Amino acid sequence: MLTVENLRKSYQVGKTSYEVLKGVSLQVETGEFVAVMGPSGSGKTTLLNCISCYIPADSGRLCLGKTELARLDEDALAEVRNKQLGFVFQDFLLLDGLTVRQNILLPAIIGGLVSDMTEARADQLCEVFGIAGIRDKYPAEISGGEKQRTAVARALINHPLLILADEPTGNLDSKSSRAVIRSFEQAKSALEATIFMVTHDSYAASFCDRVVILRDGVVWRTLEKGATEREKFQDLLLDAVREMGRE
Amino acid sequence: MRHFSEVCALMRRKNKKQYALLAGCCFFSVLLITAYVCMMRAPTVLNVLPEGGDSRKQVMMIFALAVIGCAVFTTYAAGLFLRQKSRETGVLLALGASRAQVWGELGRELGVLSLGSCAAGAALGGPLAWVLWQFFRLAVVDSEEMRLTFDPSAYVLSLAFSAFVMVMIFFLGRRSVKRTNIIDIVQESHKSEPIRDVPRWYGPVGIVLLALGGFLGYMSSSFFILVLHWYPPEGLTAVFYVPALIGLYMILLHTVVNGWNGKKKLYRDLIATSQMRFQGRQTVRNMLVMTLLIAGAYFGSFYAPMLGTGSMMGYDRRPVDYAYHFRADQDIPLEAEVRALAEEYGVTITDFAAVPMLRLAVDGNDHIEEEGPVGTTWRTEYLEVLNSNLFLSASGYEALTGERVDLAPGEIRGVLDAEGTALGFRPDATLLTNYLTKERLAVTPLEPLRYDSLFERYVMNDGDFARLGAGLPDEWRETQVCFNVENCAGTYEFAKALFNEIVDRSTLDVAQFDGWDPVVRDRDIAKDGFYFLDRENCGSAGFTVIDYGQRDSSAFRLDWQYMPEFRILDKMDFVKTLAVFLILFVFIAVVCFSAVFVIAYTRCMTIALTNAKVYDDLRHLGASNAYLRRSVRGQVKRVFLVPALVGTGLIYAFYVMIMYFNGSPAGITSSEAAGLLTALAVIAAVSALMVGVYRLTLAQVCRALGIRR
Ligand SMILES: Nc1ncnc2c1ncn2[C@@H]1O[C@H](COP(=O)(O)OP(=O)(O)OP(=O)(O)O)[C@@H](O)[C@H]1O
Ligand SMILES: [Mg+2]
Repeated sequence: MLTVENLRKSYQVGKTSYEVLKGVSLQVETGEFVAVMGPSGSGKTTLLNCISCYIPADSGRLCLGKTELARLDEDALAEVRNKQLGFVFQDFLLLDGLTVRQNILLPAIIGGLVSDMTEARADQLCEVFGIAGIRDKYPAEISGGEKQRTAVARALINHPLLILADEPTGNLDSKSSRAVIRSFEQAKSALEATIFMVTHDSYAASFCDRVVILRDGVVWRTLEKGATEREKFQDLLLDAVREMGRE
Repeated sequence: MRHFSEVCALMRRKNKKQYALLAGCCFFSVLLITAYVCMMRAPTVLNVLPEGGDSRKQVMMIFALAVIGCAVFTTYAAGLFLRQKSRETGVLLALGASRAQVWGELGRELGVLSLGSCAAGAALGGPLAWVLWQFFRLAVVDSEEMRLTFDPSAYVLSLAFSAFVMVMIFFLGRRSVKRTNIIDIVQESHKSEPIRDVPRWYGPVGIVLLALGGFLGYMSSSFFILVLHWYPPEGLTAVFYVPALIGLYMILLHTVVNGWNGKKKLYRDLIATSQMRFQGRQTVRNMLVMTLLIAGAYFGSFYAPMLGTGSMMGYDRRPVDYAYHFRADQDIPLEAEVRALAEEYGVTITDFAAVPMLRLAVDGNDHIEEEGPVGTTWRTEYLEVLNSNLFLSASGYEALTGERVDLAPGEIRGVLDAEGTALGFRPDATLLTNYLTKERLAVTPLEPLRYDSLFERYVMNDGDFARLGAGLPDEWRETQVCFNVENCAGTYEFAKALFNEIVDRSTLDVAQFDGWDPVVRDRDIAKDGFYFLDRENCGSAGFTVIDYGQRDSSAFRLDWQYMPEFRILDKMDFVKTLAVFLILFVFIAVVCFSAVFVIAYTRCMTIALTNAKVYDDLRHLGASNAYLRRSVRGQVKRVFLVPALVGTGLIYAFYVMIMYFNGSPAGITSSEAAGLLTALAVIAAVSALMVGVYRLTLAQVCRALGIRR
């Protein structure tokens, strides 16, 4: 579904350039639920931004299914972003002038296909994430966790095939976190959606099929869940994180 | 809500203040430019600004300044608008909106906004000019030549400026959507553009460069012409002003980044200074524009008072109340008729003198311009018969002035004005010629005399006068009349009647431009086949065509060779004849100052808008109201104070320099000193106004930030 090969990205600050991604390669299968972990500043957000072509990568190959993203023109890329991808941004990026419900509907409106069914789905997503009560409020009037849930709901509205989520549970209590994870799992089972989620939270990561750990700009280690129990997998993840910290 | 356009409508509602600000800026700048153009291109105004003359150049220069100012200012406003809009644009793009979709909406918004505001500005600019003009007519002075007529071609310039505004906004808008890095677009509004550190020597060096540039720029053209004998191509001398511009930029940069009062108060001003720094280049550019506009506006506003005080003092200084001269072949009132007319008007003439003058050819250096490989150069060539001057006999001079002048045969003395300024007249003739008999006389020029009403004439020995004048026909003879009256101030009607009588009885032979010279004419016609000051050529050469029907126009009164000098007439009609000048320059000043005020105001409001969060945070961190107030005041003050101080100082120094160097010998005459004092009064008045606007802006900014007074 998603192939990343030898991806490199550096930022230019003044005259010096900082290499953040130093050749990242990974593969995500259709219907897989993958988490990306790594210390703060290790380039997780940068990786997501490169995958969605929000920022240009220096080199490397990015394929979504059989299409190579670098080959697409602007309009086709926009179409892919709108119809096939769903984003949850680390800082949410909600529009201040729209209500929670309007924000959730935004990708559908951009795509030009809002039916009664879409609106019903928006309301249903509000129910699922416990934000039905605030759906007519504006972003300035809701809490950080509520914004995050709104952002997740927005990512799901167009039934995306690939969900790219940057710490979707970062601001949430365990109950809300679970609601987010469950909705990802639902998307996965109902639509064969693929989920690629950045997280610091080993609890959230323990629900995934596979966890990729980034360090110093490369993939440091990949942990497969396989048949491991969730609690056991979480312990393994914690061990790995601890080990990384020691080195 | 199901359509993309509805989303955009909601966002418009959210950001209506920003839309209003941008629309206001476009509207205002087009309005000002249109009003200015309408005024500048009005036939009424063009009539009094001779083509190629200095005043027209000044008007054009200040216009260019106003255009640049308004252009920079609208570009800034548009940039700011798009910056604040970029987060929304970025989010839409990130969620998969195509650029075409986003640009479609944004482009339409920008189109409607810019078209609407530009059209409104252009439509109201003419009426604004008219209303202002009418106001001045009512408040200051009214006369027939003050009727404002419009030239529709003015709107071409106005449309061109509107087109610039629209194209600029479109271009910037298109660019803001076009960038590929979507994350950059999203984060654009948080980014600031810091200025790199500025060394402290920037300030003093800037001042030196500024002074140097001003001096070089002003002196370069005289240097080229007088020393190198070369006419530099138009625009070359402007290059010498460039150091001044660079110096100005350095001064502003230093002020914004370092401040002038050392590092002592760093803590107290920390916020104001650091915030100014982070607004970066834009702030400095804005200040530069404001400084130049203030300087331009003052330049305009000084013109009227300088001219006014100068002329008024000149009229008061005249040693006689009434003076006129006429060619001997003209039938102009002499003593008997003048006394009769005076009686009719109840005017008492206290003394009356009429003496003959001769028009004699004099020698001198001819100024010959040559086109060569480096452009126009000039050289001088001594001619025994160069041009002609009017000569009085020593006894005639005494009869007119009461001053006894002893001149031996072969001695002459030129007459300068009372302050001894020469204004192009060099009383150094050494050879006189009776142009018709070719009789010659070698003479020695002595120390010039000073007498206002006889400026540019020579005085010679009585015997020489009689001998050299023998055989000279009436066209080469003139009569000079001087008389005084009792209670001069009450004789306006009489003066007017006498003036009309003189004009009515003058024939077309003497309807000549001041400076028309029969000797030069003969030489020019022999050489080129025509003389540029002849009536039929005057118009096309850009000089006033003397028309007795236009006797009340300023052009006629300034340029007729035989214009009488009646103190009361000149005084009373001064404001009227020069009103067009006065009002034009006052109008320019009004336009420039309003632009300055609007720029400063929007700039300060922008600071308030962009820093609202910072001030909120500071308040939460426990900053007192007084602290916040001080910080805001620091910023607003800088926006106003620096350009005001620099611009004012700059232009005043420049004016003093011009006044110092303009006459020969260099120096400040008493009328120039009076003019400079009046200019100081203007500065005081405008500064008071500026303080008012500053207070108002400060109050508004404080209110927007929720800071108590
Ligand atoms: N626009 C930028 N310009 C320069 N450097 C940047 C930019 N964005 C990120 N960086 C740098 O790149 C590195 C990786 O940033 P990134 O945001 O990808 O980290 P992250 O792994 O998402 O961290 P976190 O877990 O804290 O979100 C950081 O050191 C950051 O300072
Ligand atoms: Mg991140």
